[in-house]
Amino acid sequence: MSDDSLPLALPLLRLASGSSEVTTLYRELRKPLLRYLVCLGLSSDEAQDVVQDAFLSLQRHLASDGTRENIRAWLFRVAHNQARNRQSSYHRRFSEPLESQMDFLADHPTPEQRVLEKEKFRRLAAAIRLLTESERECLLLRAGGLRYREIGEVLGMAVSTVGDTVERAIKKLAEKCNV
Amino acid sequence: MCDVQAKLIPWLDRELSSDQAAGVDRHIKGCQECRDRLATYRQVSETIDFYCDAVVAAKGRRHLSQWVPVLASAVIAAVALFLVLPQRRVGPPPVLTPTAAVTSASAISVPLPAPHPAEPATPKMIHKRHAVPPVREPALKWQPSETAVQIALPADAMFPPGAMPRGMNFIAELSIAPDGSVQQVRLRE
Repeated sequence: MSDDSLPLALPLLRLASGSSEVTTLYRELRKPLLRYLVCLGLSSDEAQDVVQDAFLSLQRHLASDGTRENIRAWLFRVAHNQARNRQSSYHRRFSEPLESQMDFLADHPTPEQRVLEKEKFRRLAAAIRLLTESERECLLLRAGGLRYREIGEVLGMAVSTVGDTVERAIKKLAEKCNV
Repeated sequence: MCDVQAKLIPWLDRELSSDQAAGVDRHIKGCQECRDRLATYRQVSETIDFYCDAVVAAKGRRHLSQWVPVLASAVIAAVALFLVLPQRRVGPPPVLTPTAAVTSASAISVPLPAPHPAEPATPKMIHKRHAVPPVREPALKWQPSETAVQIALPADAMFPPGAMPRGMNFIAELSIAPDGSVQQVRLRE
């Protein structure tokens, strides 16, 4: 997938063209953050806003000599909490079917492949909706490249609980999707 | 079910210590069931990645598609304005009948602006055929002067800008009936 699937807001463009520590983190973490937030159910505009706010918070955090340990988990936690604050729209949008917007699957060369991919997507979307909230969040953070320890910091869970939750969620998906 | 199966997903995620990971490595070489499960978990992980990318792509496209109708409407409106407005500017001047002029003026007395000093009229601006000649018809019934209303009409209000020399005005004399309707209109320079 292209890095430019979601357009950049103007303040983010300025951040992307800088050379500070925050800029380096921005280049590294913008895409996984956006992906996590959009998959949580935010619109692309809301996700842009949340990412922008998270990086502005990071700038203030670093300027006030805040801890530099595990900044990745720190950023995801800030973004996650902001997404939670928008939860009223969050639930509505998560249940919104994406099947009608699956034009991106039209890139497949044959109609058979297209149908198979659509069916795979539809089953997976349905199975993900059946997961509990913590299972879904653990899986999405894992898909964003976070370690169990970082996922635990974002969600306020013990590392062992994260491991159990991830395992349970993957087994559920394997069962539902007949993978 | 073998005991190592509980460690397969942490092993896939590189969450095990090196000793534990080495133990799982050795085990899966000789256990077909664990290899199958590992393949399944790996496939689920890849499918989740695919799902996340697909959601981002779909929402990104929807984000762009929201602006397409707005931009298209703006372009169409701009083109329509570009095509229509110049035509209005160079089109033929509207022909005002005395009745139309009276209807729009509706018995309001507008003070006559002071005449401009005589200017050399540019030949291209004068089109005598649009000027309304003074009506001098003694045979027409004419109301007494106390019932007449005079309205000064700037030439610009009747003709397109530039069609008449600056400062030229017309006087419309209205004859009003007792019921308020317009009986007669006389237009003169």
